Amino acid sequence: MSEDTISLDAIQVWLQNALISPGSTSCQEIEKHLRPSAQLKAAQRLGIYQRSYYLRLLQCMREQFPALCHALGDQLFTDFAREYLQAYPSESYTLYELGRRFPQYLEQTRPDKDGLQQARESWVDFMIDLARFERQLFVLFDAPGHEGKLLADRTVPDHVLQLQPCFALADYRFPVASYYQQVRKGNNPAFPPEGHSMVAMARKNYLTRILLLTPTQHAFLTLLQQGHEIAYALELMALQLTLTVEYVYESWTAPDGIRKRWIDAGVFIHKGICGPESIV
Amino acid sequence: MPHSNLGLGLGLRNCHFNHILSAWPAVDWFEAISENFMDSGGWPRHVIRQVAEHYPLALHGVSLSIGSTEPLNFDYLKKLKNLATEVQAAWISDHLCWTGVQGINSHDLLPLPLTEQSLKHVAGRVAQVQDFLGRELVLENPSTYITFTQSTLSEPDFLRELCKQTGCQLLLDVNNVYVSAFNSGTDAIDYIEQFPCEYVIQMHLAGHQHCGTHIIDTHDRTVRTAVWELFRLAWLRTGGVASLLEWDGNIPPFEQCHAEILKAKDYMLGEFDPANVAISSETEKETISNPVGFLVPGVMDRTQAEGA
Repeated sequence: MSEDTISLDAIQVWLQNALISPGSTSCQEIEKHLRPSAQLKAAQRLGIYQRSYYLRLLQCMREQFPALCHALGDQLFTDFAREYLQAYPSESYTLYELGRRFPQYLEQTRPDKDGLQQARESWVDFMIDLARFERQLFVLFDAPGHEGKLLADRTVPDHVLQLQPCFALADYRFPVASYYQQVRKGNNPAFPPEGHSMVAMARKNYLTRILLLTPTQHAFLTLLQQGHEIAYALELMALQLTLTVEYVYESWTAPDGIRKRWIDAGVFIHKGICGPESIV
Repeated sequence: MPHSNLGLGLGLRNCHFNHILSAWPAVDWFEAISENFMDSGGWPRHVIRQVAEHYPLALHGVSLSIGSTEPLNFDYLKKLKNLATEVQAAWISDHLCWTGVQGINSHDLLPLPLTEQSLKHVAGRVAQVQDFLGRELVLENPSTYITFTQSTLSEPDFLRELCKQTGCQLLLDVNNVYVSAFNSGTDAIDYIEQFPCEYVIQMHLAGHQHCGTHIIDTHDRTVRTAVWELFRLAWLRTGGVASLLEWDGNIPPFEQCHAEILKAKDYMLGEFDPANVAISSETEKETISNPVGFLVPGVMDRTQAEGA
C-alpha cells in the first residue's frame, strides 16, 4: 500500500470517527482537513454529516421497531436506539440488518441487570420481548419462503406434512403479539400485564400470519421443528398429557381443529412436492 | 450494454408497490435500490421480478463504497451480479463516494478528497468491479456538504479522467450539482459546462431543502425551478439521456411522482437562460440528508393475526 493510500485511509477513518463520535475530533483537526464555505465554518459543514448520521439511522430503527417505539415513546426509544447505534454501528451493506442486535443489546444493558432476578422490573422484560418479536417478524418478511410452490392442503396425509421454510416459533413473557396488533390497528394499548405467550409465525402469499399457541401446541410444533413426524409428535404429546393417543389424534383432526387451522394458515408444505402454487 | 434513452423513469419505492402491481402505470422505466432486493427472499424480490417483466429496470446502489480504502466486498458484488442478471438490469450504478471503513457502514454517501491519489485508488477499484460484473459501472456525482483541503481536482475533471481510465459511465444528478455547488460556493452552471457529458447515460432529479447557509439533499419534495433549468442545460449538453426522479421522503401517491418527472418534457426544449438558475431565498429548518427511511419496508402492513 502506498503512502498516499494510507493518507486516504487515515482521512476516512478520521471522518467516520467524527460522525459516530462527534467529540472525537477538534476544531483544529477539522480545519486541517476541511475548508470553510462562505457561510459556514469547517466544523459547521461537518456538523451537517454528524447530525444526519444519527437522524438517518434512528429513522430506520423506528421503521423496524414501530410497536416498541410506540411502547417506549419516541424520546425514550430514540435514547435507547442512539446508544445502541453508538455501541453497535452498522456492519452490513443492508439496512435490514440494522436492528439485528437490538433485542440482545437491550438485554445486556437493562438498567436492573446487576440486581436479583426476582427484583427485575417487568417493563424491561416487556420491551425486550417486544423487540425480539418485531425483529422476528422483520426477518420473516424477507426470508426465503415457499411462495410460488405448493403449500399443503387439508387432504394431504400427516406423514407428508412438513413445516414450511418461512416459519418461526417463539415464546414470550408478555402477550407481545396482541400488543403489536393493537398498535398496528392504530390503538394506544396500555402495558399488558405479565403473561406467558407463545406464537407461531408463518408466511403465506407474502403475508406473515401470527398464530397464538397453547403450551401444548407450542411443544408439538417444537417437535416438528426438530424433525419429528406428526404421528410421533402426537404420541409424545399423549404421553406427556397422560391422554390416549386416539383422543389426541381426534383432537388434532377435528373438523375445526388445529390441523385445519394451521394448514389454512400455510404452516405446512407437502413433503417432496413443490409444484406451482394454487393461490388460496 | 444498452445505451438507449429509456425515457422518463421513477425510483421504485416500497409504498408504491401495490399500486404498480395493480395499475401497471404507463411509466417508461424504473430504477430499484440494489440493496433492497439483492438479499430478499420475500415480497421485495417478488415485486422486482414482476416489475422487471413489465418495464425496463436499472439497479442503483448505495453501498458499493467504491471510494473506500476497505477491500471490495465480493459477496456483495456476487449478489449484485445475480440480481442484475435476474432482472436484466439496463445499468448498474452507484455513487462516487465511500460509505465506511473498519467494517462499519455509515449508510451515508461520504465524499472523497479529489486528488490524483484518490483517482488512482478509485480507478483501480472500478476496474476490479467491472471485471467482476462483466459490464461497465455507472457512477453518480454525490451531493456534498464539505470540501477537503487536500482536494486538487474538480469533480468534473476527476470523473472525466476516471471514465477515460476505466471506461465507466456517468449518472449526472442535476440536483446534486445544484446542492454541492451552493454548499461549496462554486458555480453549478460552470460545473455542468465542465462535466464530461459524453460519458453520461442517465440523469437524476430530486427535490432539496434550502437552509439559508446550506442546502440539504432531501429528496422529499418537488424539483426546484432552478434545478429544472440546470436540467435544461444538461439535456442540451448530453444530447438527451434517460432521466429519473428520486422521491424518498414524504413520498406522495404514485401519480404525483409520475406527474413530477413528466415535467421534464417542458425543459427538453428551449433556450437555456443562466438567469433562471437563481438561488431561492426561502429557508427552512434542516432535516436529513440522503434519507434512507424509505429503504426499510413497512413490515407491519404485511402481518396478520390469526382470525383477523
